[in-house]
Amino acid sequence: MILISFDIDGTLEEGDPPGVLTMDFVREVKGQGYLVGSCSDRPISAQRAMWERHGIEVDFTVSKHMLEDVKADFEAEVYYHIGDREDLDKRPAEKAGFEFLWPHEATDRPWSEGT
Amino acid sequence: MSTENAPQSMYRSREGLGVWEHRGKVAAVGIGHGPTSRRWDGKPDTSLGAISLIALRRAIEDAGVDPGDIDGLVMDEKTTTGAFWPRGQELPWDVINAYNTTDAPLDGITQLSAEWILKNMPELTGNRFTMYGPGCMSNAIVVAAQAIGDGLAHTCLVLKAWHNLPGRYYQTGANADDAIPGTAALRSVWGAPACYGTAIQFAEYCRKYGKNHDMMAPFISNSRRNGLRFPEGYWAQHRPEEITTEDYKAARWIAKPANLFDNDIPIMCSAAYLFTTAERARHMKQKPVYILGHASSRGQARSFIPTLDEVEAECAESGRKLLEAAGITVDDVSFENLYDGFPQFHQFHMEGIRYRGIQPGEALDFYQTDISITGPNPVSPSGGNIGSGRSRFWMHTDCIQQIQRRAGERQVTGVEPVIGVSGGPMPTGGNFTCWSASPDY
Repeated sequence: MILISFDIDGTLEEGDPPGVLTMDFVREVKGQGYLVGSCSDRPISAQRAMWERHGIEVDFTVSKHMLEDVKADFEAEVYYHIGDREDLDKRPAEKAGFEFLWPHEATDRPWSEGT
Repeated sequence: MSTENAPQSMYRSREGLGVWEHRGKVAAVGIGHGPTSRRWDGKPDTSLGAISLIALRRAIEDAGVDPGDIDGLVMDEKTTTGAFWPRGQELPWDVINAYNTTDAPLDGITQLSAEWILKNMPELTGNRFTMYGPGCMSNAIVVAAQAIGDGLAHTCLVLKAWHNLPGRYYQTGANADDAIPGTAALRSVWGAPACYGTAIQFAEYCRKYGKNHDMMAPFISNSRRNGLRFPEGYWAQHRPEEITTEDYKAARWIAKPANLFDNDIPIMCSAAYLFTTAERARHMKQKPVYILGHASSRGQARSFIPTLDEVEAECAESGRKLLEAAGITVDDVSFENLYDGFPQFHQFHMEGIRYRGIQPGEALDFYQTDISITGPNPVSPSGGNIGSGRSRFWMHTDCIQQIQRRAGERQVTGVEPVIGVSGGPMPTGGNFTCWSASPDY
């Protein structure tokens, strides 16, 4: 099992500013059976509302500093966090034991091959 | 001719001055806001100057005044606390040259002078008075009120605008240099965020009175709920997101015990009001909102960060000064719109003026009661900076609109909106105004 955590602002197309990752991209990885969710500074209720608006059923919505909780709550072989900030995404993700990807790296990866 | 900051003699910063000599003789009539956005997109028609011209013209139109009859302009030249044009970055000459310019190339982009406004509003043919009320709208308001009362102008525009640039706030200007001059270096060297000082005071407040951070949640939720009913605000326009108690408690710390939602969001925005004499106001388009009095705080802390004792003493003094100037008691106040950026000092302002009789240490308990716009004790019906983004002016717009009964979905219904108080920013340094539906309340 692979778990992917998405930052929102600067990462997803819905973000403020918009990022390069589309909601279709999220649907695609979700459709392949990955655990997906968001880890953002947006209010948790706003994260849930965003996913609902796009008809995507996610596995978790947490605040930015809660990746360690996500790891504790979900069993996966690999944990990824995709974000756009060195200080608020990359460093905390790596500290929590996640692999980190910049948004453009995420789009370049062949996710369908199970990486 | 360059515009000067208002002299200290225009501010009422001492106790014992009595009732304001111009009580009820100055009124706010027109209101105008420019479009609100998160950051500037680099285009001429969304620049700081452009949105300010929109705000000013809307205020004039709202008041139903001939622009040629306006003879005063009070504003703040500085338009940011943390978004400075990066050194070495090419100037946006296409934007600069889209307007009539002053000697400062970035005038109208990252600063805003009265001269720039007058050069780009040729319809203001009768202007004879300009002055800066530096820092925020709270300052500009008391300067404009005093100026009209003193006869320096009879019909005056009051303007405050904020710009925000791409990139992170507080990462440019002096913070991007190798060395920081002055005492700011002593705090900056430790990387303390802007809310640090307030967080320290709030922590001490919680220790002293046995309160805790979670008790702020109703205030934050209420503020955002009110802000989402402010059509000119950032959150209402761009990201209509509530902040629930769960959201608030789950947010990450910025400077514990101040978390993410104990901070406001920097935005681009501009607001203008049209002030005039009570006599002239009677013939204008909107219901006049009279200024009963104003007061200023000029507290001096003993150290870099004011202590809780200093904050509480200064806020109490500001409250007394404002009520004294207005010639009322706190029981006459229908609602309060004291400053909230940072929200963890809103209770200092509220307790200082003894809103609804609350004493020091009681505000957080008060927040657990009905503080909504439909209840008998509305707190920050504007929603303030938490409700609509960093402007330091939503509170003033709301006071005027509430009393004019033009606050729309934010209109208070649990009280008669007869007298409102607003002002800030800081507990130990700010300017406060008392607004009234009647000139002789």
